[in-house]
Amino acid sequence: MDRSLFHITPSGAAGLIFSALCFVFLPMLAGSYWLSIFTSTAIFALAISGVAFMYARLGMVSLTQVGLMGVGGWLTLRLNYLWDMPFEVNMLCAALATMIFGWILALPALRMRGLYLALVTLMAAGGLEILFATYQFPNGGEGVWGVKTGSGEAFRRPLLAQTPEAYLRYCIVIATLGFLFIEGHRRLFPGRAWALIRRSEAAAMAAGVNVTLYKTWAFGIAGAIAGASGALLAGSLGLLDDGTFRSSESIMLFALAVVGGARFWLGVVIAAVLFRVLPGLLNTWGVDTDLAFVIFGAGLLHALITAPNGIAGQIHDLVAKLTGRGANP
Amino acid sequence: MIEIHAVTVRFGGLVALNEVSATLTAPVAGIIGPNGAGKTTLMNVVSGFITAHSGRVMIEAQDFLSLAPHKRAQKGLRRSFQKGQIADDLTVLENVLVQTDWSLTGAHAKRAEAMEMLDVVGLADRAGKIGAALSGFERRLTDVARCMVGQPRLIMFDEPAGGLSVEETQRLGDLVLQIHGLIGAQTVIIDHDVDLISRICAETLVLDFGRRIAFGPTAEVLADPRVKAAYLGTEEIVP
Repeated sequence: MDRSLFHITPSGAAGLIFSALCFVFLPMLAGSYWLSIFTSTAIFALAISGVAFMYARLGMVSLTQVGLMGVGGWLTLRLNYLWDMPFEVNMLCAALATMIFGWILALPALRMRGLYLALVTLMAAGGLEILFATYQFPNGGEGVWGVKTGSGEAFRRPLLAQTPEAYLRYCIVIATLGFLFIEGHRRLFPGRAWALIRRSEAAAMAAGVNVTLYKTWAFGIAGAIAGASGALLAGSLGLLDDGTFRSSESIMLFALAVVGGARFWLGVVIAAVLFRVLPGLLNTWGVDTDLAFVIFGAGLLHALITAPNGIAGQIHDLVAKLTGRGANP
Repeated sequence: MIEIHAVTVRFGGLVALNEVSATLTAPVAGIIGPNGAGKTTLMNVVSGFITAHSGRVMIEAQDFLSLAPHKRAQKGLRRSFQKGQIADDLTVLENVLVQTDWSLTGAHAKRAEAMEMLDVVGLADRAGKIGAALSGFERRLTDVARCMVGQPRLIMFDEPAGGLSVEETQRLGDLVLQIHGLIGAQTVIIDHDVDLISRICAETLVLDFGRRIAFGPTAEVLADPRVKAAYLGTEEIVP
């Protein structure tokens, strides 16, 4: 199996083609309601890729992803109203800040695994939820928190993406770059170190792997991706509210990553579609969107009992069976 | 050369190693003893996974006990585990490359060395196979190749013949005998297979209940009545 950095696997080619098709056709076909839903789907696909990466590569459950998105969104809004910098610079600053936040979060979590790590990250998400509810998100006001009553100031979108259609395309490109960033890591030495850490930390240490460094590295990547997702969400809506960043949403993202298949890019897309498109569909059909939770629960049960690699794993197995080739995420 | 000076390990009230000392100088040395004798504990002390209560471990005159486990690996210490630790989602080549990823040597040189060692163990043609698809013996051979890359000074194998057939054990023994000549590293083997130990180890340390009961040339050690008693027990006459 060739896993050099630039080798395109059949699965990777399918992903790039899927991304290109979405880039071209989704903005053309969708009305304003679906444009908003697809944009949100692309943004959450990027956020879920961070959770899925942590789980699939290191076996670590991080339940802070949505909280970190909130931090990224808060910083993007704050920088937007503070200085006249391009959106990309603000997004980069937000990603760097959440990467550092991820490192800080990693410090107490490094000695923990499984349920205990999940609990620590969930508590961090709970803490962030309280901070967001207390201080709200900047909307052009004065002071450190930048909040004012009444309608907020205008938000500067990226120069390349001034219309909703262009912004959806922009989000698809950033999400694809995020996926490629993670895949690049997987194919190089960090990916090898993470695979061995997942197998056995003792074996990794015996192979000269600095387990602390590589775990912190992984937290940093997941944090940066969450920060960029939060920045994109801020750019999409122009304003954010604390209700978007509840810790329960982080649990939902993780559960859907398991349902979709955390090891596969397709699994991440399936998770994002379930998270954003399914409630949109139910809403269109006039059905209570809370029904989505019942479907998520059934999907999780299905994944836990019959599909440890999620829906995407089952699809890959089926494709491998039909083509007579091994599945490759 | 590995020098073990008065190493003591305690787990609460249990003394797992009691003032164990030995200087292993042979290219291939063995550590044997009944179950619970402290063999793996000694290997864990040397590789840094257990902290000794007292004592010193020197490898080629360098004190290793003060180093973190991954630093010991970077200084040339290699070890395998009783249960082969091969990452299922990495290829055979990647499972070997991970051992030298920390080094600043060029990627091409590291890849070439990994392929060379895979050739030595007979897995060069399976370098692209993923870990999950390997047989038990292939996993063991991958482990051996991983231990051989990066110019190691000391390689420790913990029960490498466990679960292998007679032919596979024979092949593994032949491979271990080649290591010193190929890369200059000393090898220490822990195993219950006395035939394997007597065939490949020039000197052997015998532990029982955490104490050294014999040490020296393997043939002499295996003929020692105390070693026989530790392995086979002493005769008990019921009146």
